[in-house]
Formats: sequence, structure tokens, C-alpha cells
Amino acid sequence: MKKQSKILCISLLLCFVLLLTSCNRGGQSDNLNEITGDKPYIAVIAKGFQHQFWQTVRKGAEMAAEDYGVQITFQGTDTESQIDKQTEMLDAALSKNPVAICIAALDSKAILGSLEKAHQRGIPIVGFDSGVDSDIVAATAATDNKAAAALAADKMAEAIGGKGEIGMIVQDQTSMTGRDRRDGFKERIESKYPDIKIVDIQYGEGDHTKSADAAKAIISANPNVVGMYGANEGSAIGVVLALSELGKTGKIQAVGFDSGKRQIDAVRDGEMYGAVTQNPIQIGYKAVEAAYKAYKGEQVEKEIDTGFKWYDKSNVDSEEIKQLLYE
Amino acid sequence: MSENSSGKASKKMMNFSSIGAQKLIIFLTLIVLIIIFTILSPNFLLVDNIISILLATCVNGLLALGVTFVIITGGIDLSIGTVMTFSAVISGLCVTGLNLPLWLGSIICILVGTIIGTLTGLMVSRLKIPAFIATLGVMMITSGLSLVVTGARPVYFPSEYKEIAVGSLFGKLIPGFQLPNAVLILFIMAIIASIILNKTVMGRYNFAIGSNTEATRLSGVNVAGWLTGIHALAGAFFGIAGIIISSRLGSAQPAIGQGYELEAIAAVVIGGTSLAGGQGTISGTIIGAFIMSVLTNGLRIVGVAQEWQTVVIGAVVILAVFIDTYRRKKQNI
Amino acid sequence: MGETILTMEHIEKRFPGVHALSDCHFDLRAGEVHSIVGENGAGKSTLMKILTGVYKKDSGNITYMGKSLEPENPRHTQDAGISIIHQELNLMQHLSAAQNIFIGREPRKAKIFTDDKEMVEKTKELFKMLNLNLSPRAKVADITVAKQQMVEIAKALSFDSKILIMDEPTAALTESEIAELFKIIESLKKRGVGIVYISHRMDELMKITDRITVMRDGKYINTVNTNDVSKDEIINMMVGRTIFEEPKEESTALSDDVVLSVQNLSDGGLLKDISFDLKHGEILGFAGLMGAGRTEVARAIFGADKKKSGDIFIKGKLVKINSPQDAVKNGIGYLSEDRKRYGMMVGMDVETNTVIASMEKFNRFGFISSGKTAKVSKEYVEKLKTKTPGIRQIAKNLSGGNQQKVIIAKWLVRDCDILIFDEPTRGIDIGAKSEIYSLLTELAASGKSIIMISSELPEILRMSDRVAVMCEGRITKILDINEANQETIMHYATLRE
Repeated sequence: MKKQSKILCISLLLCFVLLLTSCNRGGQSDNLNEITGDKPYIAVIAKGFQHQFWQTVRKGAEMAAEDYGVQITFQGTDTESQIDKQTEMLDAALSKNPVAICIAALDSKAILGSLEKAHQRGIPIVGFDSGVDSDIVAATAATDNKAAAALAADKMAEAIGGKGEIGMIVQDQTSMTGRDRRDGFKERIESKYPDIKIVDIQYGEGDHTKSADAAKAIISANPNVVGMYGANEGSAIGVVLALSELGKTGKIQAVGFDSGKRQIDAVRDGEMYGAVTQNPIQIGYKAVEAAYKAYKGEQVEKEIDTGFKWYDKSNVDSEEIKQLLYE
Repeated sequence: MSENSSGKASKKMMNFSSIGAQKLIIFLTLIVLIIIFTILSPNFLLVDNIISILLATCVNGLLALGVTFVIITGGIDLSIGTVMTFSAVISGLCVTGLNLPLWLGSIICILVGTIIGTLTGLMVSRLKIPAFIATLGVMMITSGLSLVVTGARPVYFPSEYKEIAVGSLFGKLIPGFQLPNAVLILFIMAIIASIILNKTVMGRYNFAIGSNTEATRLSGVNVAGWLTGIHALAGAFFGIAGIIISSRLGSAQPAIGQGYELEAIAAVVIGGTSLAGGQGTISGTIIGAFIMSVLTNGLRIVGVAQEWQTVVIGAVVILAVFIDTYRRKKQNI
Repeated sequence: MGETILTMEHIEKRFPGVHALSDCHFDLRAGEVHSIVGENGAGKSTLMKILTGVYKKDSGNITYMGKSLEPENPRHTQDAGISIIHQELNLMQHLSAAQNIFIGREPRKAKIFTDDKEMVEKTKELFKMLNLNLSPRAKVADITVAKQQMVEIAKALSFDSKILIMDEPTAALTESEIAELFKIIESLKKRGVGIVYISHRMDELMKITDRITVMRDGKYINTVNTNDVSKDEIINMMVGRTIFEEPKEESTALSDDVVLSVQNLSDGGLLKDISFDLKHGEILGFAGLMGAGRTEVARAIFGADKKKSGDIFIKGKLVKINSPQDAVKNGIGYLSEDRKRYGMMVGMDVETNTVIASMEKFNRFGFISSGKTAKVSKEYVEKLKTKTPGIRQIAKNLSGGNQQKVIIAKWLVRDCDILIFDEPTRGIDIGAKSEIYSLLTELAASGKSIIMISSELPEILRMSDRVAVMCEGRITKILDINEANQETIMHYATLRE
């Protein structure tokens, strides 16, 4: 009897593994991470993988790879705190002799050592999404997050009529993106809208429920809040959730960042005043393009602004915006 | 060696009063926290905020309830959060891909949790893989699988699905009292958990296994079988948590889940359940979960910086374990 | 006999609700073996814990080597030369003998490195002193319990101890090992070490001690010279009543019907070709030296360990027993020698421990009918005269004898007809022992068939209807009680192949 159950148990485990491998095949049939041909190889190392934002960046990168006839690998860490893991990924990529590297550094100082190694070997480095604090990078393709956040601040002011209390939900206070989106917003409000007061900033790790709970705490603590800003997808959805759970949708204006189906729907339905989107396809595309050009020895622009756009109910379904949004 | 018999009666009293005392201490802690936050901010003790706290407790509370069973056996489960996510994701895929009705989707969610729990239980009880390792593996597998099966994209439920968690049966009966269903579900599950733990054969074996696995086996109890069952039960609770979180979000988010296990375990430990096994209560776990969410919410409302919020919660966990160890030590002398 | 090195006078100790020690006296001379006897709870271990600094006394004086001593903690008293060897040895199983002896005070090289060579040399000297044939580098887990005890003694010697307290030192030793231990005690005496010897085994006490101090219920009763008293007199002082330990004369088995038959049982290791029958209402004693395989036989029959070959018949029917679950289904109950580890959930109450094996009986669609479990538990507390304040009492707080009764109740509730007792009176004081004995007799008379493993020959001779003697994994002989005596049993217990 004991033996039988052991066999049962092992076979169940085997099924589990089989399921895993078959799903794997179904999910990512294109073996992008295999280097086979003699096309030049560019390693793209991102800050994330699971998040849709990164999947869209990846799409852009793949489009560029197609256009320029190069081969790429796209890798990303599981969370944005795995600085050491990213270093490992970079070192592993270097050992595959890439012609260029695109990197979205989690911590530009931590990764500098490996980057310098690459630089010495003459491998051009292109930063994307966020910059690398060093002049060894050939170019950086990124959103000007501060400017984008400032745009969100202007729109927030417009939504609440230029006065009142507002709260902010930001993903974290450690990443460059998080800080820029916080500071860009804050500085614009403080310098341009003296009648608007930021009552609190909370950090929700980009987790939807945690951000919602944080947003609810801000609103409870400050009953006069008239606007809430969410600095990335998770934070923005958290804000939307908080408002709907408190029955304050429409009474408190929400301004968000990035996209995702839930946020796009919220904008379309008027739950959210509007949001700023980056151009993730452009980020991926420009990064690979710049890397290819640098490898070919062509001149590349040092700072490539990949742009950002405001979208709200009026233009959310326009062609121009649609291609920037991911679901 | 035990002391003489006249000492036994008083020892017994100490024993019971100290278990009671532990529960009283955490309950008082909760009350004191609420009083402190009420004094510090007039906005803390408002109906809306209380409902926010209750709703914020639901997911962690359900996870903590499930893992309480496992911890009482002397085991541990690190796959809590990711099993929750995985169950939600599979249920979402079934609902959207196969056009299944929502109630069936919910049942699938619980089923998936139960199945993964069973597999974990088999690994721990039959294959004798240490629980820490087995559940660590399951955590990684389920977290990866959630991404694989969804292509790292969230799965969106039809909008009625939100009713399960944020709709309010109470509100329909008593207008103005918009207690979300999720809170109702949490309390119902807590009562069920408490009945299972205290009134059923499974509950009794749960304590017995945690108290002394080998003696239980030598009493002719099918320890491996019950242990598997207990893990399956815990998995069912994780599945229910999966329903609540995906209902609240209107979607199954494949990337979340990691980190939830530690919050749930912290709630259980604050609630006085011993990581050594053999001791624990459901009411303690629920109070522990509320202490966690009252702390998080309260610290936010009074405007304590984020960095310090985690410091305070960490300190509370250590304090809770310290009180528990101290009580145990006193009991043994 | 040397001069007095330790005096404890008017020692008082109270715990909440308990007067653990009242006006207790004890003194020890250099080079003597002085035993403290008394039933469990008499206060002897409390007294020793005060001497070694585990507990603080409430009042009283301790004079040690002519000076007043206030024991602070075990480390302090050990440094002062008072060492204790606990019944459960405190050795680190994965370290070597030498490492164990010098743990915490390893000889150093250049302050930071341990000097293994010197440590081994010093250990060798200690072993030589004890006439112990053991490598200092031997891992403790790999040596016998007896040798481990010697390592503890060597450790005590290395502290240059003037006083050595031995708590039940022979509990886990074979006859020959005990003889070895006594030799060492003699040599320690010659070196002027005072030995406090705590044991339940009266025969040993009469043989090895010079003086005996009797305690009862936390009170000092008397101190006598061993040569001046008889065993019975000591026991009378301890319990305040007379206890007879007469061997049984003939079998009291109810019939010749075979209830359990074991045929050619082997476990692929120690056990070889074990065959025996157990009759209705019989107590079958299992005698043998430590390591003869008696517990292994019990565990194999009970399905706790794997069997390699062999058949088990219950009432003539072949049964498959691959787990304790199977055994219990077939009406076999096992009472382990190590109650705390294998016998019961010490952290749980009397009720749970009583009903844990019989949940099917109280199971109503998965729910426990708690009225029934309480009723049954109360019934057995009364039936077996278990001393407990109630069925909600945590088992940990019961004395050894009462714990044993709870475990017996567990199997009686389960309706087990075959009970395997492994060392039924280990760690149980004399008064409670005789209660356990009469309980066993009653059980057998009521139709239960009992296998009783015991290392105490008087116990075997007093209780058994037949005696199976084991040596090195084989049953060398099954004796009828009228042909069994200490000599015949020892003969077969040492009958090697």
C-alpha cells in the first residue's frame, strides 16, 4: 500500500513536470533565447520580464532585430530588487560574445564593473528605460520620466481645478524611475500650483492590492483629498480600486501612469481622468537600433528620448495612442 | 523528572492561564493599537477606514488560516502566495477560455489550490522531503507556471466577478452598512477552520502530529495520509484567497504572490501558534492578521514613513515570538 | 573514609503551591559513594539541582571544602569541582569524545586555533586513568551508551571534580557494563572523589554505596550506613510500607490457545529467525542484555520498522503488518520504553492521549463526539486509578507511572488484545511500580495477552508466565517460569552462536 502511494506520488510529480514543459512549449514556441545563426548577436537585459510593460519593450526590440537583421536575447530579472541577478545575467551574456549590449540597469553603480569589462573589449553599451551613470554608454534610450510626471501633474491640476489636497501612490523610493516619477510630479505641483497641497506619498511595491490599501489609508487620513496620482500601472490600478471600493469614483480625480487593460478601461469609462504612457515599443526598438548602429560604428545620439503621451477618454481609442498601450 | 503530586494542580492552572494570557495579550495589543491610532488620528476610527482595514485583512487572513493548520503540524509552507496566484490564474483561464460560469470558476480555483496542496502534502509526508524545501520548490514552480500559462499577462474576469469580494450582502439587508462580502467570507472560513481544528478528527490529529509525530504514528494513526489531507485543506484556503484577490482586482495577476507567505506566517506567529508545532488557535491567527493590517493602515494614516512601517511590523513579529518563547520557558520550569 | 567535603543543612525550597524541600540535610565525605533514594517527587533531584545551581534555594546552608558555597549556575559549580552526569547524557553526538570533553575550553594554539593534538593527548590520559579502551577521536554517535557514559565521567574528571553526581547511571547499561562502571567507581573512590549515586535499583545500591540518605515527600527521613540495613528496610523508609518482590512460581496463563504466533521473523539486520507463540492471558517476558534485539522484535511485530521476512499469525490467521496502523487494526498495542518520544504526546492532555488510537469510535462524520471521549477518558482514569487532577491535565505534568497508565488506557480503549510492554516500569518509582505490576496481572487475568520486555531480572521473574531469552538478535531459549531463575536466564542471554 505504501509502495503504491509512493508510485502514485512520483507519477503525479512527473505529470506536473510534463505539464510544465508542455506549457512552456505552448507559451514560448519561438526559441528566441537560442543563438544559432551567424547574425550579429545583441544581448538585451531588462529590469523585468513578467510585467506587460517589459513584454511590450521586448516586442519593440524584436521588431528592431528583424529590421536590422540581428539576433537578440531578451532577459529580465524577476523583481526590480535583484541587482545581483542582473549582474549575473550580464556576465553570462558577455561570455556569449555579443556585438553590443542593451541594458536597463537596476542599479547603474552595481553593474558598472561588468559594463567596464565589456567596454574594454570594445563592446558598445546602450542603456534603455533608465540611464547608466557613466560615459562609457554609447547611448541611452529612455523616457524622460521627470518630464512625463510633470505632464501628469499639469493634468491633475487641470482635473481638480487648480486647488485642493492630493495624494500620491508610488511604486518605490529606490528605483530611478520611481524617484523621477515622484519628484517630477511633486516639483511641478510645488512650483506651479501653490493652491494644491500634496498631503501624503505612500509606496505600494507596484502590487495592486497593496497600492489600493495604501490609497485607502491616505483617503481615510485626509478626507479632503480631491485627487490621487498613481505612478505606475500597479499604483494607478490601486488608486482606481481604492476609489471604487470607497465609492469615491468621480468625486476624487485619478491620474495614472503606464497602461494595462484595467487602466485603459478605467480611462475609457471615466473612472480615471487620464494617464501618461511611455512608449515601450520605441524604448525596445530604439535601444536595439542604437546598439546596432554603435556596433557598425555609426554616429548615435547620446540621449534618445523615446517619448511619452497623455491619454484620456477623448483619445484613448485613437490610432496614435492605441499603438503605445499594452493590455 | 516531575515534581510531587501536590504541585500538579497549580501547574495546571499556570498552564491554562498562560495560554489564556497569551491570547489576552495579543487581543489587548490589538485594542491598544486601535486606541493609539484613534488618538493620533481622528480619521482612523471611521466606518470607511474600518471597512478598508477589514477588506485589507481578507487575503492575508485566509492565507494565514490555511497555513495555521500546516504550522500546527510542525511544518511550514512557503508556497502560500504563489499557490493562491496560480489557482486564481487557472480559474481565470478556465472562465475566459472555456466560457465557464463564474461559480464554476470559483470552484476550480479552490480545487487547484487543493490539488497543489495535496501534491505538497505527498512530497512532505510520503517522499519525506523537508517541508521547507518542498514548499520552496512548489513556490518557485507555481510562480513560474503562473507566468507561463498566462504569457505573463493578467487574466481579466467578467465584471460580475467583483461582486464576490467587494459586493455587499450586508449592504442589501442593512442599507448603509457596506461590509464587503470578502470580510464575510473571511469570518465564515475562520469559523469553519476553528470547527475543523477543535471539533473534528482531523483537527485532533493535526495537534497530535504536531505534538509528537512518531508517537502518533505508533498509535496506529495514518500520519502520512492525514498530513497530506492537512496540506490539501490548507491548499483549499489558499484557493479561496485566490478567489478573493482576483475578484477584488477583477483579474488574476500572475506576477504577484511572492512575499505574501511571510506576511501570513507572521500573522500566525503573532497569533501565538508555535512554529515548533502542536499548539495554536484560529482566533489567534485572525487577531494576528488584524494586528498586521491595523498596523499597516494605522502607520500610514498617521503618516509614518514607509521605511519605518516595515521596521515596526518586523519588531512586532519578533516581540510576539519572544513572548511565546518566554511563556513556554516559564511553563517548563 | 575521608573527611566531610560537603554539607547541606536546613535546605528549604518552595515552588508556587509546592513545598518541594523542607529542612533537608545531606553530607558527603571524600571517597565515599552516598546514595539519595526516594520515590519520584521525593525531592532528590530538586536537592541536586540546588547543589548544581540549577535552582536557587530559599534558605539553608551549603558548606563545600570547608567554605560556604552559594551555587550560581551549573557552570559555576562545575568549575568549583561539582559535576553531574545526567540520566540523559549531554553529549554532542556528532563530535568526537575528545571534543566533547573539552567543549567550551579547548586547548588553544596562538589564542584562536584549537590545539587538537593536546586535546587528544589529555583525553588519552583521562581514559587511561579510567582504564577505558576508546579512541579520543571516536565519534560519540558511533560508540555504545556505556562508553558514552565513560566519556561523561572522563569529562567530569577533567574538571578535577571533588564531587560527582550520577543520576541513574545504570539505566541503559548491560550487566557486564555495570560491572565495568562499578570498577571505575571504586577507582574514583580511591582517588578521593565523593560520589552521589541516584538510582531506583535497590540491588545496585546495596552493592555499591557506603551510605544511603532516604527522602520522602520533600522531607529528610534518615541517613544510614549501607552495611547496617537491609533492602527491605530502605524500601520501607522510602514508601512507609512493605513491598514484596517474590518470583512467580507457575504460569497463570488462561489457556493454551495461541493468540499471536510469530514465525521466522527477520529484519535483514540484527534479528534472525525469531519464532514464538503468545498464549491467551499470558505474560511472556523478553529477557536479554542491552542490544540483544528485544525492542527490535517488538517494533518489527508492531510494524514500526521494516521486516525482511517472516509471518505473523493472529488467532491462527495470517496477517500482513506493514505499519503500526495495520498492527493496531489487528489488535496489537505497543508501549514504548521511551514514553516521551514514542509513547505519548506529552504536550497534550490526558483525554487526547487516551483516545488518539481509537478515533474511529468517536468519529461522527468527521466530527469528534466530545462527550463520549470525555466519558471514556474519565472512565479509564478511574479504572486504572490514574492520579491526575482531571482529563484536561497536560500529560507532561503527570508522573511516569501515571503517564504509563494513560498509555495503557489508550490501548484498552482501542480494545487491543495483545499488548507489548517495553520496559513498563522504566523511570517509575517503586510505589507506582507495584501498581503497574498489579495492573499487568489484572490485564492478563482479564484475557489480554502480554509481551513484556524488561532489563530487570526480578521484574521478569516476578511477572512472566514464560521467559523468552534473546542474545544477539536470536531467541536462544523460551523458559517456563518454573525453570527460570537469574542464572538460567543469564546463561541463555549470553549464549552466543
